[in-house]
Amino acid sequence: MNLNSVSQILDFAIEKEEEAAQFYRDLAAKMGQQHVGEVFESFAREELEHKAKLIAVRQGNMTLIDSQRITDLKIGDHLVEIVLSPDLEYKQALIVAMKAEKAAFQLYQGLASSTDDANLKGILLTLAKEEARHKLRFEIEYEENFLREN
Amino acid sequence: MFRVIASKMIVPNMHLLTLAAPAVAREAKPGQFVILRAEEEGERVPLSLSDWDAQSGTITVVFMSIGSTTGRLALLAPGASIPTVVGPLGNATEIENYGTVVCVCGCYGIGSIFPIALALKRKGNRIITIMEARSSYLFYWEERLEAISDKIIHITRDGTKGHRGHVGRLPEILRGLEEPVDRIIANGCTFLMKRTSDETRPLGIKTMVSLNPIMIDGTGMCGVCRVTVGSVTRFACVHGPDFDAHQVDWEELLQRRKTYMPEEVVPLRTSRCEERHFRSQEGKS
Amino acid sequence: MSDPEKKTLDLRRREMPKQPPEVRRYNFNEVALGYSAESAVEEAKRCIQCKKPLCIPNCPVEINIPAFIKSIAERDFIGAVRILKDKNCLPAVCGRVCPQEEQCEKTCVFHKKGGQIAIGRLERFLADWEAQQRELEMPEILPSSGRKVAIVGGGPAGLTVAGDLIKLGHKVTVFEALHRMGGVLIYGIPEFRLPKVIVTREVEYLRKLGVELVTDFVVGKTRSIDSILEEFDAVFVGSGAGLPWFMEIPGENLNGVYSANEYLTRLNLMKGFLFPKYHTPVKSHRRVAVVGGGNVAMDCARSALRLGAESRIIYRRSREELPARLEEVENAEEEGVIFDFLTLPLRYIGDENGWVKAIECQKMELGEPDASGRRKPIPIEGSEVIYPLDAVVCAIGNSPNPLIGATTPGLKIGKKGNIEADEKTGATSREKVWAGGDVVTGAATVILAMGAGRFAARSIHEYLSSL
Repeated sequence: MNLNSVSQILDFAIEKEEEAAQFYRDLAAKMGQQHVGEVFESFAREELEHKAKLIAVRQGNMTLIDSQRITDLKIGDHLVEIVLSPDLEYKQALIVAMKAEKAAFQLYQGLASSTDDANLKGILLTLAKEEARHKLRFEIEYEENFLREN
Repeated sequence: MFRVIASKMIVPNMHLLTLAAPAVAREAKPGQFVILRAEEEGERVPLSLSDWDAQSGTITVVFMSIGSTTGRLALLAPGASIPTVVGPLGNATEIENYGTVVCVCGCYGIGSIFPIALALKRKGNRIITIMEARSSYLFYWEERLEAISDKIIHITRDGTKGHRGHVGRLPEILRGLEEPVDRIIANGCTFLMKRTSDETRPLGIKTMVSLNPIMIDGTGMCGVCRVTVGSVTRFACVHGPDFDAHQVDWEELLQRRKTYMPEEVVPLRTSRCEERHFRSQEGKS
Repeated sequence: MSDPEKKTLDLRRREMPKQPPEVRRYNFNEVALGYSAESAVEEAKRCIQCKKPLCIPNCPVEINIPAFIKSIAERDFIGAVRILKDKNCLPAVCGRVCPQEEQCEKTCVFHKKGGQIAIGRLERFLADWEAQQRELEMPEILPSSGRKVAIVGGGPAGLTVAGDLIKLGHKVTVFEALHRMGGVLIYGIPEFRLPKVIVTREVEYLRKLGVELVTDFVVGKTRSIDSILEEFDAVFVGSGAGLPWFMEIPGENLNGVYSANEYLTRLNLMKGFLFPKYHTPVKSHRRVAVVGGGNVAMDCARSALRLGAESRIIYRRSREELPARLEEVENAEEEGVIFDFLTLPLRYIGDENGWVKAIECQKMELGEPDASGRRKPIPIEGSEVIYPLDAVVCAIGNSPNPLIGATTPGLKIGKKGNIEADEKTGATSREKVWAGGDVVTGAATVILAMGAGRFAARSIHEYLSSL
């Protein structure tokens, strides 16, 4: 891939969001329990919202704000990999999402560290933060639903 | 309370128990199980259904007398009652027209595979039954299985009937069949099912087993029956008891089944005199 | 309050005697011993009988609290029982396990000064007093309506619906999956916190009222909701939160790793602590770790202690955040349960035979307050510790049991696997089907389940009356 300009990076990121949405839509279609399928559908919609936001940025209608540090609750870090089978529960759906967002975060972090161009590094780090924010959203949902007693 | 209609030892150490349980009999399907309690202080034991009759409202289980609870169940006489019969639990075995199905069974599995083989036969499958036992005198329900099988093959450890050896002889037996096998179903002890699975994996024949881990409630509440199937943790009571044999983590299952081995013999070692003396006093007062 | 009364305000809550910690940690008998009649009357006399009582609106089952307290103060115990039982069919249970400190007692006018009336202890006293009398008084039962209601699950929600509807003249049948009625009261809460004879007593009361109690009957398996509706006019589903969560960390299927449900069911429902007299085996472990910080975790840790183990609680947050009742935390501490706060299990380590032998944990610190002002625990890198042990009990919560949802077409299920029901009426997406308690809300308290049962009973009664 060629990531030599801001717009190339944005195109790449937009594609990644679409891939993520597709990943969740595919999972949703496979779920045996309807209510879990709906959970994955909602994750897919969130990815599409991220995509729309990046498209707006590319068109110059919006700027990505490099916000303050995003907390990493690290909830997903030590949890087992979830095998993607049709009878997942909401709890496991959230673990899948936390791990996927973490992987996306690490991807942009890695890309950022491999470039010396300050401008490109900046946009990659901002994208990494966006993914960290998405992960935090899933971590909070996991914590509030499944770690109340813990 | 659930009344005992029939109780007998059908071959040494193997017992058949027929109970009046109309609600269970009405809903039972091949491959499902019940949980029984032999008495008020008793533990809950899962047993596969071997037969049932919705009309007379009875169910039949076949079990081996191995521990304290099965020992008590074995001693029940017709007319006696037990406090718990709950079911039918678990999912029914998938019954489709697969073509040729080989039913591998041993021990109590000879009983529990019967309704499955019958349903498969009715669905149009060719049924080849392979029965395994230590010796020929340990086979039971042979006529029943003969009546619904297109072919019946015996394996005995001592060679007194059919092939000599154990279920490890499965590959050569399967090679000797004139027809391709579309599915294998194994019911019986964990070793029989594991060995069947080991033998059929290289042959690439879909093999289904009915797992028998430790259970308490049988409805998904306690989670003690968890098994790893295809790297995913499943509860045998609600997701099973049938699973694809080639996906099962057999070592873990064997390990988990041993959890209470040291405790299982404790009731056999104690005299229970306290309990018996108190009972006889209660009877007199 | 007016001045003349103020002079006589008595802010000293009467203590309830307990078994001393060094004694009770070795037995399964009830910890708290209950008020004597004298202490109960003294405690009741402290109540100033507010004109607009603040305790009642904070009671999920709307007991007329000041009225029964007044009767106790006047030594009219029968009258007090009557008032209590008018709204609560399980008073001996609620007097023991309700979090009164979060409900009625919290809004007592004396609360600010620390002298709130011990409503829970008084409730318990009354229920126990009544049980000692020769004959229980039977409430009035309305003439038969000819309508039949099926209740799925013999736990707190279901039993409340049963008690309410039977008094209104409907025929009620409760179907319970296990071999004893009571749900979590029987399989979950230990003997030392809620003696089983009390649950049995309250269940027997319902039987005497005419409720038909069917055990060993798994609705969804033995019979579907649809089939039940062919025979009954309405169904209430109170099947509880019976699907245990695990941590989803490595090593969870090692021998010696239990769900709280399994651990407690072996001990309570199956009476494993009396093994081998009762035949369900319980292992004697030497070191037990309980993961979690709720009441269930406290129950597990205190049970492990009583079975002779060194017992520790591993909890991700700090003491202040423990969701368990403070009283139970204090009891556990007094008895010698070790608490590891701000500690997160990372994995279970097994021996060569597949038994758990240790747990690896990471220490946590509380992060910056988030938008809601709460501080979330964050792992500290490099703080890993390993505790040797031979059993772990995972007490982090439960989901609703999926059996009913999976076998009832058209019943709307929420994303957490819960049955969706109207908060005020318990009505579900299916006609003639109501639901309440943990199966709707996810794991919560006994009294909230009873409150949901009360609302549903009201709605079911309205429906049956309209037929």
